[in-house]
Amino acid sequence: MVRIAVPSMLAAQAEGRRGFDVEAETVGEALRALPVADLLFNERGALNRHLNVYVDGTDVREHGGLECPLASAHEIRIVAMVSGG
Amino acid sequence: MAVLALVGTTKGLFLLWGDDDRRRWQTEGPLLDGWGVYHAMLDPRDGTVFAATNHRVYGSTVQRSADTGTTWTRSKQLGLPEESGLTLDAVWHIEAGRPDEPQTLYLGAAPGVLLRSDDGGASWEVNRGILDHPTRERWFSGAGGMCCHSIQLDPRDRGRMYVGITAAGVFRSENAGQSWIPINNNVETEFLADPNAQVGQCPHKLLMHPARPDRLWQQNHFGVYLSDDHGDSWVRLDRNGLPSGFGFPIMLDPKDPDSAFVIPEKSPEYHYSSGGQLAVYRTRDSGETWELMSDGLPKQAWAAVLREASAYDAASLYFGTQSGSFFALTDGELWVEAVRHLPPILSVEVTPWSG
Repeated sequence: MVRIAVPSMLAAQAEGRRGFDVEAETVGEALRALPVADLLFNERGALNRHLNVYVDGTDVREHGGLECPLASAHEIRIVAMVSGG
Repeated sequence: MAVLALVGTTKGLFLLWGDDDRRRWQTEGPLLDGWGVYHAMLDPRDGTVFAATNHRVYGSTVQRSADTGTTWTRSKQLGLPEESGLTLDAVWHIEAGRPDEPQTLYLGAAPGVLLRSDDGGASWEVNRGILDHPTRERWFSGAGGMCCHSIQLDPRDRGRMYVGITAAGVFRSENAGQSWIPINNNVETEFLADPNAQVGQCPHKLLMHPARPDRLWQQNHFGVYLSDDHGDSWVRLDRNGLPSGFGFPIMLDPKDPDSAFVIPEKSPEYHYSSGGQLAVYRTRDSGETWELMSDGLPKQAWAAVLREASAYDAASLYFGTQSGSFFALTDGELWVEAVRHLPPILSVEVTPWSG
């Protein structure tokens, strides 16, 4: 079980929820389980480019991106890049 | 009758509630806080509010509310077919379908696509006639992208409809959207090598007159145009007294097909008020002459009004600026700055309410 923390704009799209507990083996699987998954990925399944995703404080780009295994991870944080305005 | 203005901004949707004479307004919002609301409208068929929303981080979606903005539901993920090689860039304009098709809506989007919903906006399918149009390779983007921003349905003929796409041109369908023909004859394209190009023109806003559906008005990148033959030919009108042919919005008078209203900007290179004064120009004779309507508008202004940021009804005209001011016309002549200091205004629609 991993806890996913989302920014306030995503929480507003999920009835105000800021956190979600998800069973998943990879980061991608966890993110796709969210009720706001359509706001994270484009229609080809690519993660929107102005999003950062951290697993226990580490950028998933450094660990295989969406295929990053969660194993014993505790928390995924979704953060909008400053380049997103 | 009082009026509700749905004002889309770069940072959410505002509902402006105006009284019978359009002098007193109450502001509600921002709803959809943080989203760029390129267009929002209240479906006259059932009162549902629809918003075309875009965000640099979270992408593009359509959101709808059955309780005038208290709660919202997103459409299923929007997208374009993989074989097209295109992905959705932005959603621009929502148009209600015909009265006898209460679940049908149309959505204009970028890059130059039209989508249709037959389930009240829950899901959307791309229109293949536009997506696969044989001239698409000759279309290109304007500064705001290749947006399908105008969708007009002929009320007399359920097969006939129009779209306007930047910078592809205006297209007409006679078979409810199965196929489309370019209708850009006589529309100038100073930026194209071929002055008689079939496509590539840059309509900024296209409106069909509701009482005379064969009459189309167009504010183009290069001029203001009128067609009286459902787009088969166009007459350029802005050389009859307008300070500039460049602008984005256009407004009509539902009672008078010969009247139209434009907000000229200096030129395609300089997107702000012509002459340093925010001004609306009116014609009452189908563009033979134009007259200034500036009472109540700021005298020193370098403002810009975007393509979706104006609206009209039988009682008044309305527009919003990129500097966050919303104006309404009172007594037919005097503009009132109803609200100021909103985020940059992207869109305006109005609907009557009972007050």
